[in-house]
Amino acid sequence: MKGAEPWQTAEIPGPIKAFVISEPARISSILKSARRPLFIIGNRIDKKALEQGIISLIVDIAGAIDADIAVYGGIYRDFKATNYDKVRLVPSMEVIDRVKDENWKGFDGKGRYDVIIFLGFPYYYEWLMLSGLKHYGDRKTRTLSLDPYYQPNATISMINMDIDKWMEVIKEIRSNLLGGE
Amino acid sequence: MPRKIKIKIDELKSELGVIKNLELNIGRIIEDWEEPEGQYSMPKVYELRDWDFKLLKRYKPMYMPFCDLCCLCTYGKCDLSRDKRGACGIDMSGQQSRIVLLACCIGVATHTSHARTLVEALIDKYGRNAPIDLGGEVYVEAPNTRLICGIKPKTLGDLEDALDYIETELTYMLASTHTGQEGSNLDLESKVFHVGMLDHLALEIADIAQIATLNFPKADPEAPLVEIGMGSIDISKPVILVIGHNVLPSTSIIDYMEENGLYSDVEVCGLCCSAHDITRYSPKKAKIVGPMSWELRFIRTGVPDVIVIDEQCIRTDIALEASRYNMIVISTSEQNIQGFPDMTREHPDVIVEKLVNREIPGAYIHDPDLVGEVAVKVAMKVYPLRKKYKKLPSVEEVIAYATKCRECQECDKACPHSLPIMNAIVAAKNGDLSLLADLYENCVACTRCEKACPVDMPILTMIVKASDRRIKSEKYKIRVGRGAIQDTEIREVGSPIVLGEIPGVVAFVGCPNYAQGGKEVVIMAEEFAKRRYIVVTSGCAAMTLGMYKNNDNKTLYEIYPGVFDAGGIVNVGSCVANSHISGAAIKIASVFAKRKLRGNYKEIADYIHNRVGAVGIAWGAMSQKAASIAAGFWRLGVPVIVGPHGSKYRRMLMGRKENEEDWYVYDARTGEKVYVGPVPEHLFYTAETMEEAMVVAAKLCMRANDTTKGRAVKLTNYIDLHKRFYGTLPDDLPLFVRVEADIPITMKDEIIAFLKEKGWKEKAIPDPTLLEEMVRKK
Ligand code: SF4
Ligand code: SF4
Ligand code: SF4
Repeated sequence: MKGAEPWQTAEIPGPIKAFVISEPARISSILKSARRPLFIIGNRIDKKALEQGIISLIVDIAGAIDADIAVYGGIYRDFKATNYDKVRLVPSMEVIDRVKDENWKGFDGKGRYDVIIFLGFPYYYEWLMLSGLKHYGDRKTRTLSLDPYYQPNATISMINMDIDKWMEVIKEIRSNLLGGE
Repeated sequence: MPRKIKIKIDELKSELGVIKNLELNIGRIIEDWEEPEGQYSMPKVYELRDWDFKLLKRYKPMYMPFCDLCCLCTYGKCDLSRDKRGACGIDMSGQQSRIVLLACCIGVATHTSHARTLVEALIDKYGRNAPIDLGGEVYVEAPNTRLICGIKPKTLGDLEDALDYIETELTYMLASTHTGQEGSNLDLESKVFHVGMLDHLALEIADIAQIATLNFPKADPEAPLVEIGMGSIDISKPVILVIGHNVLPSTSIIDYMEENGLYSDVEVCGLCCSAHDITRYSPKKAKIVGPMSWELRFIRTGVPDVIVIDEQCIRTDIALEASRYNMIVISTSEQNIQGFPDMTREHPDVIVEKLVNREIPGAYIHDPDLVGEVAVKVAMKVYPLRKKYKKLPSVEEVIAYATKCRECQECDKACPHSLPIMNAIVAAKNGDLSLLADLYENCVACTRCEKACPVDMPILTMIVKASDRRIKSEKYKIRVGRGAIQDTEIREVGSPIVLGEIPGVVAFVGCPNYAQGGKEVVIMAEEFAKRRYIVVTSGCAAMTLGMYKNNDNKTLYEIYPGVFDAGGIVNVGSCVANSHISGAAIKIASVFAKRKLRGNYKEIADYIHNRVGAVGIAWGAMSQKAASIAAGFWRLGVPVIVGPHGSKYRRMLMGRKENEEDWYVYDARTGEKVYVGPVPEHLFYTAETMEEAMVVAAKLCMRANDTTKGRAVKLTNYIDLHKRFYGTLPDDLPLFVRVEADIPITMKDEIIAFLKEKGWKEKAIPDPTLLEEMVRKK
């Protein structure tokens, strides 16, 4: 599929590679089907997307599927400001270390996460976290990269796309899950 | 080479009677060290394995493989994804630890060959009996060597025994990475620790050999300030640029100039650790251009006339880059010959002529003493011929380049920092160079973008041109590397560090592969210095700290003192000077706490792990050497934080604070097992942002032995930083408060209410140790 090659030069993946899904409707249904979803959010979300209010879109999506949001660093305050009550202040490395552990029952102790959604990290950094979960995570746990790049180490990834297109996709996912604009 | 033979007999019954505690040493080192020898002089990996496993039980490897495959032998490639195994039987965890071990072996080999080259050359020059004197107040001259080898080196010749040991052990460790050898990931990790320990030994040998003989500052907190930055280079003179880590060829340049009255005729400047060390050798004459990320920036200005390369962290395409600007390159190290003809046996004037007339592409000269004369003579001859190369393209030329852009975005994809290059080029096309200039701060000058560009856009040169005003103003001051920490300083700070009243020692070390520019390192270092931590620094990070000025036009080195004390910013020197940072930790155990050092690794590491609140931040760590340096800290139980690119080391050592059983120690007074909380929580950790690194570093400075007063100081800093960035008390606070007296007084009410809400219970404060043998009452 066009755009389904690694965004950063030399990040050659495989043999296990992500399933590529870019249609907002299909991503929405994956999110909707999640029983225990978790967002892990980084500090490198595109500036333009931030200006266009991506944080409230993410929080709406998370709210629609009752997802936890793990976030750390400077961007935490932006998420906190939304008053979404499932924002968890935890560093990315620590959350990866726990998510791959079969005995970890999540932030609320209610059980393992089954869909883990990544967004906003440096490309290589997300690549590595996803690789950690690909090899060491529970097979039943699916990882989904919602970044505007193909991330082959995820279970499911979008394709490379520009920020405008990406914002459209995110907005559409939001409205699929919540209805309305 | 004479070998050391040691015979140790605890008890021998013979017809002549009973002999007890007999020790015989035959060989080079004749000991007159009254300290009894511990069990672990020149240890094998299996002798310290149980210590390693104690650490690895707390800090488990967390793998993030870079790829799914192994391609190390012709059985492969093998797919190791998930729980598959390769044709040889290795699994993914084993493979990842094997790669970490390989990286660390490369690091140690590099430092060891550097140390060996220095020691051999310096013995040739100054004799085997040249004394090791590191300064009047440095009595424990070689803490790593004493600890690991059980010897007290007095002369240069004594260092050879330690080098022999490293080379032997390193060979064993490297052999473990062969196909069909070590398959246990934990044993591979223990070997990583082992080579890390060897690394600090190699670093120490290299640095003490050069300090002792080359008149470097000797543990001087007031080591001189020297100039750093491209703007400080005098381009009205011939310019010799030295790059690398082995200072000997550079010293011969200075010597030649001095002997021939050419001191003011030629400019000598350096990049990377050779620059650190040449300014330690000659603070009056030599200048520093910057860390290794300045290498191509400086070359693209066309300024250097002669480039003298030695070893490590030098661009491998240096000859190609230099040839574009008609610069002359002289290689001096057998590790890095660069395809040049060996000219060592030629007369200097013949070499000069051949280089100036371009009869040879460059010269390899492995006798450092010869390098100075050739480099200086060549620089003076080519300088008038090279003037036309000493300029950047004009603005019009930059715009003309930019018009060729196809807007394919290949440059953006190639940039390891995902910088918005294409947009900057497109803006330049329209005459606006400001976006190109904006890239300067975060660009590491790797030229991956140029290599990817289908129209061969000289992107880095364009960035440099767009930043030419900034470059001219790059004139800063850095305090030259002071070398060791004095025993007297250790005595002063030993107690406040161990009791926790100085909140910690934070070391900014390593390479400049910063994800968001060097400014972050400066902000972090100043934050910790202001908070009265002891800030130490070395290598490229130490240069970065000197390359930003505050509003008063001063760098950190002009504001903060160079003493090893609260609020100091201490530049120890080049990469090899990292040994003084581990050395300071070891000396706290020996000089301050009077623990026995000789061959006593486990006890000292246990002491440091439980008592010395030190943490390393290698914010731009890039190299294999950085990996082995970190590994040496790990074995001493000292945590290391790396920046985002450090995630590519692909294996972290992570503690799990909620796993209560991981955080027990013995109380050395009673032998009881006591829960002390997750201190320090991690051993190797990647932080995504500077804010994260600061909070985590403050947290990682806590130690089981902190007194209540000390813990309160450490908690004040942890809480304060946490509140500043996140607006709340840290959630894990109850794990770090042992008794009410730990609570910072200014926040008492708030914290008590918080602890109550979390169901906090008081904990004991033991005399902590992880070693059962340290329990005094059995
Ligand atoms: S070393 Fe082992 S895993 Fe690697 S290629 Fe050879 S057989 Fe395969
Ligand atoms: S030279 Fe600078 S802009 Fe180009 S790829 Fe490297 S870091 Fe990015
Ligand atoms: S790679 Fe070259 S042609 Fe392509 S966008 Fe970048 S500068 Fe333009």
